Amino acid sequence: MLSEIDSKVIKAIIKGATIPQEIAEETCAKVEAVRASADALAEKGLVKVSKSIEETAALTEEGRRYADEGLPERRLLGMEGTSLSELKDPSLKIGLGWLKRKDWAAIEGGKIGSKGEAPLGEDEMALKILLQGPKKTTEIDKKALAALKSRGLVIISTFKSWSYEVTLEGSKAAAEIGETAAEMIAQVTPEMVKSGQWEGNCVVLGGKHYCTRPYDVTLAAVRIYPGKEHPYQRLIDRMREIMLEMGFTEIRGQIIQSSFWNFDALFQPQDHPAREMQDTFYLSTKALIPDFTKVKEMHECGGDVGSTGWGGCWSPEIASQEVLRTHTTSVTIKYLADHPEPPVKAFGIDRVYRREAIDATHTPEFEQLEGIIMDRDVTFANLLAVLKEFYAKMGFEEVRFRPGYFPYTEPSVEPEVFIDGLGWVELGGAGVFRREVTAPFGIDYPVLAWGLGVSRVAMLKLGLKDLRLLYQPDIQWLREMPISLRM
Amino acid sequence: MPVVRLYYEDLEELVGASRDVILSRLPMMGADIGKKAEEAYVDVEFFPDRPDLYSVEGVSRALKGFLGTDVGIPQYDVHPGRVVLEVDPSVNAVRPLIACAVVRGLEFSGPAIESLMDLQEDLHWGLGRNRRKVAIGVHDISRVEPPFKYLAEDPERKFVPLDFTEEMTMRDMLIKHPKGTGYGHILKGFDSYPLIVDAKNRVLSFPPIINGDLTRVEEDTHDLFIDVTGTDPVVHKALNIVVTALAERGGKIESVLVKRKEGDFVSPNLTPARWIINCAEANRLIGFDLPPQELAAALERMRFGAKANDQGVDVEVEVPAYRVDIMHSWDIFEDAAKGFGYENLTLELPKTVTVGRPHPIEARKAEIRDIMTGLGYLEVLPFTLTSEKVQFEHMRRLSSGEIRVLHPISELHTILRTTILPSLLEIFALNQHHSLPQRIFAVGEVVENRKTKLNLAFASIHSSANFSEIRSVADAVLQEMMIKAGIELSKDGAFLPGRAADIIDGEKTIGVLGEVHPAVLRNFGLEQPVVGFEMRWDEL
Repeated sequence: MLSEIDSKVIKAIIKGATIPQEIAEETCAKVEAVRASADALAEKGLVKVSKSIEETAALTEEGRRYADEGLPERRLLGMEGTSLSELKDPSLKIGLGWLKRKDWAAIEGGKIGSKGEAPLGEDEMALKILLQGPKKTTEIDKKALAALKSRGLVIISTFKSWSYEVTLEGSKAAAEIGETAAEMIAQVTPEMVKSGQWEGNCVVLGGKHYCTRPYDVTLAAVRIYPGKEHPYQRLIDRMREIMLEMGFTEIRGQIIQSSFWNFDALFQPQDHPAREMQDTFYLSTKALIPDFTKVKEMHECGGDVGSTGWGGCWSPEIASQEVLRTHTTSVTIKYLADHPEPPVKAFGIDRVYRREAIDATHTPEFEQLEGIIMDRDVTFANLLAVLKEFYAKMGFEEVRFRPGYFPYTEPSVEPEVFIDGLGWVELGGAGVFRREVTAPFGIDYPVLAWGLGVSRVAMLKLGLKDLRLLYQPDIQWLREMPISLRM
Repeated sequence: MPVVRLYYEDLEELVGASRDVILSRLPMMGADIGKKAEEAYVDVEFFPDRPDLYSVEGVSRALKGFLGTDVGIPQYDVHPGRVVLEVDPSVNAVRPLIACAVVRGLEFSGPAIESLMDLQEDLHWGLGRNRRKVAIGVHDISRVEPPFKYLAEDPERKFVPLDFTEEMTMRDMLIKHPKGTGYGHILKGFDSYPLIVDAKNRVLSFPPIINGDLTRVEEDTHDLFIDVTGTDPVVHKALNIVVTALAERGGKIESVLVKRKEGDFVSPNLTPARWIINCAEANRLIGFDLPPQELAAALERMRFGAKANDQGVDVEVEVPAYRVDIMHSWDIFEDAAKGFGYENLTLELPKTVTVGRPHPIEARKAEIRDIMTGLGYLEVLPFTLTSEKVQFEHMRRLSSGEIRVLHPISELHTILRTTILPSLLEIFALNQHHSLPQRIFAVGEVVENRKTKLNLAFASIHSSANFSEIRSVADAVLQEMMIKAGIELSKDGAFLPGRAADIIDGEKTIGVLGEVHPAVLRNFGLEQPVVGFEMRWDEL
């Protein structure tokens, strides 16, 4: 804010008063006060000060006399033939030197001898001008003035003077105190942009001043949010990337599967608890199932791979019941059945369904990642190496392998990763598909397989306490979860 | 999975190792230790293929091998006993199989009795399919008099069941006794029920429901009669698991002569199964390189009997009679790997060379996400399970092509979605406390007529949402997806008449967009205008 005197001064300047005296009159203040205020305003960049220094030449007493009478050397010219000894006036004696210097006359035998020509000099003209009164030094020939000054005929005095004008910044400041020298604007218009007459934040357009209103840039702005992928999807994308980097082909399959592909093809006995209504979403529909002779043999008596089988009687009726797939392995085994020749490396990340009541850590549907490698001479130790690589790429450096159990793999393993603050956390399952699984489909080489609950990883990576948030999102959470969050 | 409570004191004594050693090695044998270890005990989960580990005795037997203090196949003597059990053919229809044994000289103090009861329950779950396949009864044999008889009797037969003081009929037990209401369904449809009685026709057991109170096991019980009845030969394995666990406690196993019309047999049969495994085959599967002697040693740590044969090619393996999981040579190979230690395997990536390829549908989804996020929309991933109410009623649409699950978990999840837009409206409803506009999209699977198909849906909610907004976005999406489609006036009741358009590809309507009808908005509890879009873009 400007002080009262500053405000008055800047207003006076805007009204056209430019020098301290005028401003003083306008503001009814003392000249000194005006100058002090104007200096302060200049300090703030609101006022531009033009300071000028002026020199004035004026005749001395002697100078005035010479201007009247003529310079001594001019007078001496009129005294041709006069003997030097007759010259009593001391000033005339001085004139003798100048007579010689100006080369107007020669002294011969103690007498003044004219040389004829003696034009009016610049010094004499200056004297004439100065006789009218003091003049600015700039109006008078410099050499002449210097000569006159050296002869003590002229004295030079110095005067300082100030004049003021308001800067655009000052206009704006004045506008803020109610003077409409410049219009404050919120938005720059295309005309203003094109005019190009900008100084700072102000522009002159059509003879008017406009200044953009300054803002408190430290204040928070209205929040905006980019459109973005779901953070969970970004995690899935990262996993897909890893699998593709590792040379796996992506596969997909139907959500609705027959029990045959979901269970029987994986050597899950038909009375296995996981197949019960409590755990699996059954549909009322039946599927057409492929030739099941070998699968039936395998379940009942172990086929021809030296297995005991499960015994009992295997029912195609039960196998044709449709379910919402309970794991992505149903898609994998079907893919293997269609591609029994090595090598096969395939993966899928897809939604699976379990008949579980919803709570913070259980949802009836969730994503599973599954990868398989089928080739000649691949081993269980190879599988562990692949798992270690995969988890390392996921950012889990410390991995250990605990023996596990899954009905369709042997050997089986439960990989665990070490998480600070949680210890060893089980993250997925893996194993080599049993011969009872692969043989009926003509798959003659080991199949290394592993699966992973993706939402478990999401809980760890996103620091999630409640899985439901993934599927029934809080939009603010989505808006604020940074895209750059490393997962 | 069964959780076995292991008391440190008991376990340390049985194993002969400190709890720290036990706790650090147990997971590597194949167990999941509960997160919170208590002062006196630890809860450990074992897998369903190893019911022989469902007791502290079984765990300590395995641990002694794994820790190397007592390796090889455990020897259990079965002493010839004098007890006879006669099987009456009347049981054949209802519950044909029985195995039984006598174990004498037991001390039931402290955790021993609890461990036995827990083992019984876990076996009912793990092997017995909740008693249907296998049910176990344990009796104080001193209260009854052999020979015993297993027969099917009239449901009106009375006796005093365990935990009761009054006699009641078997039929009433199915209604009044907690075990009867729990397992009575197994006997549904039968007009006579299984029963085990003694020489004086006193009831030992009413399998698979409840024992008689007469033979209740108390702290002063020393001699047990154990019956295992069921419908599957696995009854013998279940008996083996129980009697060998008791033998680990110092019990003396005595055989029972089971008399049957089809032929008598002596129970239990603890003869190990013999397998010959090929060492090279094991090495090939596991990825180690063990000579037969070392392979045999690894198996002995897992309590198999194992001996490299003379040629040094094969290993002769004896599988303990309590193991139920050995179906195939690979099952033995896995145990060899465990005995060797998963942590000791040399990890080497497979040499398989392949080139990765994304699935075209997933690649397409990624493009669609690019388009939608570029247009300022936030992605959501709603459940695919929904309800008729949300899918059709709320949307003022006729139901069509939906798949219903047989036993929904709640009325909110009865069908698979055929469209995604209703789920977006539900998400708006959950987010009404957040600032507007909100713009969301979902790209993913729907199921129609049992087939998985792919839809894109997006919607925008704010006070000035209108047709021109959604039309602009729709045009941009179609342009970016390079779909040339026609736009025609739509009659979809989910939208305001005259403010909705169908997206036409050739002859087919592939999508719809417009201003969602305020009646629909009210059905979802929304109070602001919404414009929405949905389109089918592919199928599997």
